[in-house]
Amino acid sequence: MKYYFLALGTLVVVCVGCAADGQQVIDKGNYHAPPAAMMQRPGPMVDGPGPGVLQMLAPPPASAFAARKSQVRFVGPAGMKVGWQVPEGYAENQITAPGRYNFNQGATYRLKLSNIPGRSIPALYPSLQVYPSHPTTDAYLTHNSIPLEITPEDLDQVESNNFVTKVIYLPDEKFQELAIAGVETLVSTRLDPGVDPVAEADRRGTIMAVMRMGNMDLEMPSGNPGNEKVSQVSYDGDAGAHMPPMPIPGNMIGVSTGVPVPSMVGGMGAPGQPAYNPIAGMGPTPAWGMTSTGTPIGLPGPPHLPLGGPASLKSHTIRNRSKVNLPKPVDHFLVDVKQNPAPSLPKPVKYVQYSETHPVHSPGQVSYPRTMAPGPGY
Amino acid sequence: MTIFKHQNRSRLLTMLLMAMIAFAIELPSAWSQQMVGGRKYNSGNQFYHPLNQRTPPGVAGQWAAISGQVQAGYIQPMQVSLPSKGVVTFYAGSVDRKIQKASPAPIGFSVGYVYRIKISGMPEFPGVELYPTIELIDRLHPPAGLAETYPVPVSLNPEDIELALSGRMVTKVVYLERPQTAVPAKFERQPTLAITAKKNLIAEADLLGRPMAIIRMGGRLPSTRGDDPAFFGSGAPVVELKNNRTQN
Repeated sequence: MKYYFLALGTLVVVCVGCAADGQQVIDKGNYHAPPAAMMQRPGPMVDGPGPGVLQMLAPPPASAFAARKSQVRFVGPAGMKVGWQVPEGYAENQITAPGRYNFNQGATYRLKLSNIPGRSIPALYPSLQVYPSHPTTDAYLTHNSIPLEITPEDLDQVESNNFVTKVIYLPDEKFQELAIAGVETLVSTRLDPGVDPVAEADRRGTIMAVMRMGNMDLEMPSGNPGNEKVSQVSYDGDAGAHMPPMPIPGNMIGVSTGVPVPSMVGGMGAPGQPAYNPIAGMGPTPAWGMTSTGTPIGLPGPPHLPLGGPASLKSHTIRNRSKVNLPKPVDHFLVDVKQNPAPSLPKPVKYVQYSETHPVHSPGQVSYPRTMAPGPGY
Repeated sequence: MTIFKHQNRSRLLTMLLMAMIAFAIELPSAWSQQMVGGRKYNSGNQFYHPLNQRTPPGVAGQWAAISGQVQAGYIQPMQVSLPSKGVVTFYAGSVDRKIQKASPAPIGFSVGYVYRIKISGMPEFPGVELYPTIELIDRLHPPAGLAETYPVPVSLNPEDIELALSGRMVTKVVYLERPQTAVPAKFERQPTLAITAKKNLIAEADLLGRPMAIIRMGGRLPSTRGDDPAFFGSGAPVVELKNNRTQN
């Protein structure tokens, strides 16, 4: 009987060993591709091989067609003049509604609305915040303008000393009522008290532009003759003098203008610069693997990439024979400063845990058109 | 009697162990089935489609070129048709090099690229100029020497133009019908199926046939102040076709 159970146990071990090869315990055997939004962007692992082995006749990166400027269409009221802030002051009458202008994305502009038909308001100075394009709005912004209309209700609210925020966004599919994609506008004055129109629009879709308007006169004399600026230059669009708008700084550290900066604009973040997404292959960012440093010994780039042939130049020496008499730099320099009372701040955050969960799609669950399906080449 | 009890017990134990062996053999496949169907986003045997009508222009063409399934750079004859009459302007490499053709306008586009075109001079829409884009993601395989006879048709209807003028965005996918399900009839106009915004346009076209091109049209115009080269794309190659022999 002992041998019987011994043989049976051996059989169990062999069968289980054949069925489960150990991968199920140690390695689950699943390979997870990056999420779809990330795969739409070029970069390591997701956009084919590096430039050294890229196919000939391959089309340019998809970002070549991405909208870097948003076209804002001032729908009305018809006849209203639109100007904007420029370095020397305000450029007047640059556009007459209905009209349109291409604004750099990822910047905030100070507009000047004047000659509003039927109103005695001398001028309004709203801020226009143009959001950078997003994968969900790229196709729309490439083909459509952003409609911006100042309605009589908005003007009534502003004249009543109220603050109007208009958010223009592209709703998600589940919030779209019509079959054809179109933008929607949320106005703060039509929402319940306490509801943030920007947050609400962000929940419903992707924001493309935000306009904030009050009745503050930004060209009022300050009353102090010594501080008043006299502009020697004026730009009147009616006289043919056009000037591109100057982006205004937002709520940077130490500077408060009441205008928040657009979210998620990478790079230098300087006002006036176009939207810059620091993703390899996108915009000014070079594609992944491209050489960025010229070396004087013939190596064309980073040594880990298969670019070019072997180095031909083996040595490169430059010797400086000039007789110079320069004092040695100071090796220790001491400055004692003391601030009283000294700053005392709470301890900074030293640990943040951030985790993302993405859906997992195995090869049998993903469907591409035939031309995009992974497989043998043409 | 004792021997009989022992035999029964050993049989029972044997059956139990055999059941465990069978379970161990079936375990991996049963586990993987649970992984396939056990997720909410994939319930109902639905596939995940990475591409849809909101995918940024150029991504589908780039994926098609990189996948190697389509011959990137192949010049595919196209034919752009307007509602009745009109002028179609193509941009060969730059804004300055224009090719103007009367509708229906034949042209050769390269697979994998996005092209901006201009449509104008339509008697139904006097003074209207629109700038749709055409993204070519696949090619046809006609008999040798007959490529220009069977172009990919791109038809823009009056309804499409009205929607674009009203500030909305129209996205169309031109697909080659499956021979098994194609209607054996000749149509005066290119048949068009309209679907809701909640559905995936490219997946629907892939279900019905082979997606060839994505056409997007809105109301955005090029900048009137200074050059606007980014509006016209990356300067993909355009080949002017001399023969206008088409057979649809």
